Amino acid sequence: MSADPAAPGYAGPGRPVLEVTDLEVHYGLRRRRRRVLQGVSLSVARGETVGVIGETGSGKSTFARAVLGLVHASAGRIRIDGEDVTGYSHRQWRALRRRGVVQYVFQDPLRSLDPDLAIEESLIEPLLVQGVGRAEAVARARRYLARVHLDEDLLRRLPGELSGGQRQRVTVARVLVTEPALIILDEPVSGLDSANRVQVLQILKDLRDSGVALVFISHDLGSVAGVADRIAVLYEGEIVEVAAARTVINAPRHVYTRLLVGSAPTLRSAAADRAGRDALRARLRV
Amino acid sequence: MTPVPEGVPESAVLALRDVRIRDEVNDREIVHGVSFELTPGRVVGIVGESGSGKTLTCRAALGILPEHFVVSGGSIEITGHDIAGLTPARWVDLRGGTISAVFQDPASYLNPSIPVGRQIAEVSRVKKGLNRRAARHRALELLAAVRLRDPELVYGQFTFELSGGMLQRVLIAAAIAAGPKVLIADEATTALDVTVQAEILDLLADLRERTGLALVVVSHDLAVVAQVCDEVLVMRSGEVVEQGPTAQVLYQPRHEYTRLLIDEHEQYGLDRFLDAPAADAPEVDGSGDHLGAGEKELDRVR
Amino acid sequence: MVRRVLSLVSARIAAGVLFVIVFLAVFGKLLAPQDPLAGGPQQLAGASWHHWLGTDYLGRDVLSRLLEGSRISVLGSVEVALIALVVGAVPGILSVYLGRAFEWLTLRVADTLIALPFLVFAVAVTALLGNGISQAMITVGVLISPLFYRVSRAATLAVARSQYVEAALISGASIGWIVRRHVWVKVLPPIAVALAQTVGIGFVVVSSLTFLGIGVQPPAPTWGGLLASDLRYLHYQPYAPVAPIVLIMATVWGCNQLADAIRDVSGEAGRALLNTRRARVNRVADREPVSVEGGAR
Repeated sequence: MSADPAAPGYAGPGRPVLEVTDLEVHYGLRRRRRRVLQGVSLSVARGETVGVIGETGSGKSTFARAVLGLVHASAGRIRIDGEDVTGYSHRQWRALRRRGVVQYVFQDPLRSLDPDLAIEESLIEPLLVQGVGRAEAVARARRYLARVHLDEDLLRRLPGELSGGQRQRVTVARVLVTEPALIILDEPVSGLDSANRVQVLQILKDLRDSGVALVFISHDLGSVAGVADRIAVLYEGEIVEVAAARTVINAPRHVYTRLLVGSAPTLRSAAADRAGRDALRARLRV
Repeated sequence: MTPVPEGVPESAVLALRDVRIRDEVNDREIVHGVSFELTPGRVVGIVGESGSGKTLTCRAALGILPEHFVVSGGSIEITGHDIAGLTPARWVDLRGGTISAVFQDPASYLNPSIPVGRQIAEVSRVKKGLNRRAARHRALELLAAVRLRDPELVYGQFTFELSGGMLQRVLIAAAIAAGPKVLIADEATTALDVTVQAEILDLLADLRERTGLALVVVSHDLAVVAQVCDEVLVMRSGEVVEQGPTAQVLYQPRHEYTRLLIDEHEQYGLDRFLDAPAADAPEVDGSGDHLGAGEKELDRVR
Repeated sequence: MVRRVLSLVSARIAAGVLFVIVFLAVFGKLLAPQDPLAGGPQQLAGASWHHWLGTDYLGRDVLSRLLEGSRISVLGSVEVALIALVVGAVPGILSVYLGRAFEWLTLRVADTLIALPFLVFAVAVTALLGNGISQAMITVGVLISPLFYRVSRAATLAVARSQYVEAALISGASIGWIVRRHVWVKVLPPIAVALAQTVGIGFVVVSSLTFLGIGVQPPAPTWGGLLASDLRYLHYQPYAPVAPIVLIMATVWGCNQLADAIRDVSGEAGRALLNTRRARVNRVADREPVSVEGGAR
């Protein structure tokens, strides 16, 4: 089992950038306390993209927030870039974040950019926080703008004046300026139209090829399938299946994964199997 | 009923003819001519990105264009009647009773302080003149018809107690309460999880088969539309760039934009993996570079 | 922002009115034709060439007293608004960030202050600290401050939960950084509305207090004080209260109009307003060529 690439501990080809072991997260206090994540183990290597698929309430966002230190883990270990961050204090977290090792891309680019700040200001913010000088920060931001195929004249505009696709590429550029080793993306293409979706996904692929580790969180298997090396399926707070993307899609083992694959809208299998889905749903309910 | 105008097949429940919509604020045309006909039990899909005019087109058919938007050309007929110049009272009759709609965010269309069942019952009371008990009975029937598992329980629940998928079912129940002939589903599954989206799409297909409901399914995702529709319109910046039977649009796309939509699914979506015959699939060694192999294979297949 | 506010007719009128009032407050003393404190032989005289607005019960020129009194009245209300702003807005913003204890404490203090009737309380405080305009204004300012506390807290909460603040947090930004860079700008427009409103409220309160004889010592003229003395001699001079009343009303109206205007142009409501106008313009512009075409046919 341990040699199996599908095993949770398997870290892929490079050095692991993220190692999560037996992560457990609870919300609420005392009687209202409920478990959101249980026994989640996942590791992501340099130059690897891991898709984390789950529906609303499956705990996928909590997973991201735990890795970013925004929620407290009640058990388990988290190692980022070799550093054990499990019991970190606020101050230690801030120092870690300031280094820009881990970054996060939100689903909704409009809401994750300050509407009153010019694009340039948003782009250089992580660098200014690090204490980089303004001129240097602007110069670096421009370099990354080119990497996400955006024009420099966008720098003076406000987020509201950009298209959705441009905005999402700006938020990608913003996380790139600190040269992170790990980027967590929460539904980065869900709000985008086809053309922009393709463009953002291509940028992500290029990033992966340049050695960055990506965790791609989504409810939609389809949007992850094209870029993920491995896929982890999160169901009710537990990872029920981890395997290479192709394996998960073509030979799903868990009932939920099968329903997920059967539910994802596809073009060519348009005459979808309604009865099959009904049967899977019935099995999940038991 | 007034006589059906010439040239319209009697069965068309919704017919748009070269509908144009103008924005009076910025003084420009937003939708440049949309035409389609919908007969009972048929499903027309409209695909396009945000701002393509697909939602405005639907809203025009429902007579609920946002402020400062007007239908500036063409005609819309609902069950053979031109809707231009309909009085508000006639609209009230028409909406719900003949044409109905569900939208993306179900929670915002329901009152959070009234149990959802009563809100559905209200539709039957107002539209069909049922008394309180009959309306309740009808609402329970409807909740069962949209395949909610425990209609009695859901009847007394509030919006915040229900999940997005359940709310969308409740909304569909309310939309079909007065027995409309046309249901417009505008991005009705966009905000939902994939598995729930499939449930709602299955439900719509089911309703259409059982009741002969005609559907207009609007989505930004070609795959969603492809799954349930007989005819597809591809819209881009207010223009219908491609229109035809679903199979034809999928397999012989003429416009480059349609091709782009299909390519996206083939390159980045599930189709990329599902297309490859399982027997041909290369052995996955999990070393992380199998994707490169997959790409090469895809190129070869093409 | 300023330009957008002034594009509204009501805002322009309000700004004009307020400008005149401020002008009176600054230069009132110089404009006063006579000594506002010097009594004269004619008591409770009607309007005449010499006394444009007549004289009061001691024979003092009413116009001069009104002009002189505008300074205390206007400065008093501005003082009230500024004190309320500082005392309210700062803890309002900080309550979101400084932890549960601070939040709980400030919320309870704000609740308590709201519960106190400020006129009565101002009377009590001046009785305790001695009668003076500053004591009265500080008291009223503190008592109005919950308005600013709530407004700025609500605005800050909305910003604090936004994703761009979270994004900054994930980049390692400190709370001070976030407040300076993201929060402050968003909190300003609602505070501007509250400020304009408070100047109006403050004005009524200052006038009421001086009407009751609190805050200013008797010979010093204020609009509220003038109104009070006028009312006492209503029997002899029924029209005398009109002048101070009109001034008070105009000022309060101006402040409220300005507050409404700021509210109207900021956010969603502002866009709807501008759209309605532009659509109207376009519709009118369109109608012309259409009718020409119809005529030609």
